[in-house]
Amino acid sequence: MTSRVAVTGLGCVSALGQTVATNWTRVKAGECGITSLAQAHPDVERLVKNGPAAQIDSLDTSAVEAYAGRKVTAQLDPVAAFALVATHEALLDGGLVGAPELAEAAIVYGGASGGNATLEEGYLRILTKGQATVHPLTVPKTMSSAAVSQLSMLFGVRGVAFAISSACASSAHAIAEAAHMVRAGRTKIAIAGGADASLNFGSWYAWLALQAMAPDTCRPFSIDRKGMVLGEGAATVVLEDLEHARARGATIYAELIGMGGSSDAGHLTAPSAEGAGKAVRAAYADAGLAVDTPVLVSAHGTGTPLNDKTETEVMRGVLGGDLARHRVIATKSAHGHLLGAGGAIEFVLGVLALKEAVAPPILNYLGLDPECDLPLALGACQPFEADALVSNSFAFGGLNSVLIAKRV
Amino acid sequence: MSVTRDNVLDVIAQESLVERSALTSDATLESLGIQSLDIISIVFALEDKFGIVLEQSEFEGVTTVDQLVDIIVNKANATDTASAGQAAPAAKT
Repeated sequence: MTSRVAVTGLGCVSALGQTVATNWTRVKAGECGITSLAQAHPDVERLVKNGPAAQIDSLDTSAVEAYAGRKVTAQLDPVAAFALVATHEALLDGGLVGAPELAEAAIVYGGASGGNATLEEGYLRILTKGQATVHPLTVPKTMSSAAVSQLSMLFGVRGVAFAISSACASSAHAIAEAAHMVRAGRTKIAIAGGADASLNFGSWYAWLALQAMAPDTCRPFSIDRKGMVLGEGAATVVLEDLEHARARGATIYAELIGMGGSSDAGHLTAPSAEGAGKAVRAAYADAGLAVDTPVLVSAHGTGTPLNDKTETEVMRGVLGGDLARHRVIATKSAHGHLLGAGGAIEFVLGVLALKEAVAPPILNYLGLDPECDLPLALGACQPFEADALVSNSFAFGGLNSVLIAKRV
Repeated sequence: MSVTRDNVLDVIAQESLVERSALTSDATLESLGIQSLDIISIVFALEDKFGIVLEQSEFEGVTTVDQLVDIIVNKANATDTASAGQAAPAAKT
């Protein structure tokens, strides 16, 4: 006897703005959070961030501070601050802030890396500025599980809590594993999602060196796409035993019915259609969903030449010949690549698209690439009645996680 | 330029997020909710602000705001006045 898993709370922050409502409204309107950066490092003149990025220029922590006091947010790395803001929203949305149930809830939260800005500041002090010490909170601010601990402390969550890291699939894996916990009856409520803050200078140079970043913008599945655009932020979902959610009259956005994962055992950066396809098929099998069911695919859709071509091959392989009944969205074109938080924000936006029966547009599209001939959502936001959402995350290092949700 | 008690109290208030008016001469750090790791963070900020270096042994017995202010003011004003008040010690290389 397993429990069904409901999605009962949503929260997010990205370059599009704070709150799910803002992000969703802007995604539907076809607005893009990517801007052209030209930022010099305040201490090291020769370092510049020059190019397109989806950066969060300011974070409003007033709602969290009103709940928990100013001291909570004063000493946070941006990655934990993003996590707190998104999770506070998700728990408010789920009617769970201060709820006694949280004492037994679980947290599974993802991130590709943690506390990069804090680490960079520490290195800058000792390696460049000739200072002898780094900030005394450097260790607790940079540990990969820092955000999880902050969430637990802030919201009084005393169940099983841990971080998951699988590069750009981190938060999708986190949601999947949290869902398995709810399904197995190990917890009634699980807080899941992810956060990443990798727009510090060191991370910027690392991504530049990888030559994966687009010089212009993010154009998923488009001809002449040139790469990904770095973003940052967090997204959180509340997963809950469906009966528990119904009993307390919670808003149920969707039911999470399928989780599939795989690893490519292939290349450190190049995607594998075989590996990714295995994850999609596993999610379909877990969901018990027929492949001819009309679905909305929230694609991994990074905008790199290789990812989008491979993802096309994967989805064509899984879905079969008649693709017109499905629709593919790729919201990285609006909020950039949130790395470890990407899977979660794309799941959140996908769930809303499923619920409202619309397909928000893929932005910056220049024209058909014959190798990416999927039924893409282009132009304006259009009505699209899907029976289920398929949310793909295919990470560097060949770690794949796919989530399938259906309307309730 | 010498470092005043007010200069030090401003930094403590900013770092500890305690209202400046609560930092009275007889207030204990404990009563203000300033715990051991908070003290280390405050000292870190004071070192940066006033260009000084404190060994842990110099402040480990501190229990009141006044004691901390005394230590910082004395240390800062005993240090080479040329470097006092700088944001950070000069680079070594």
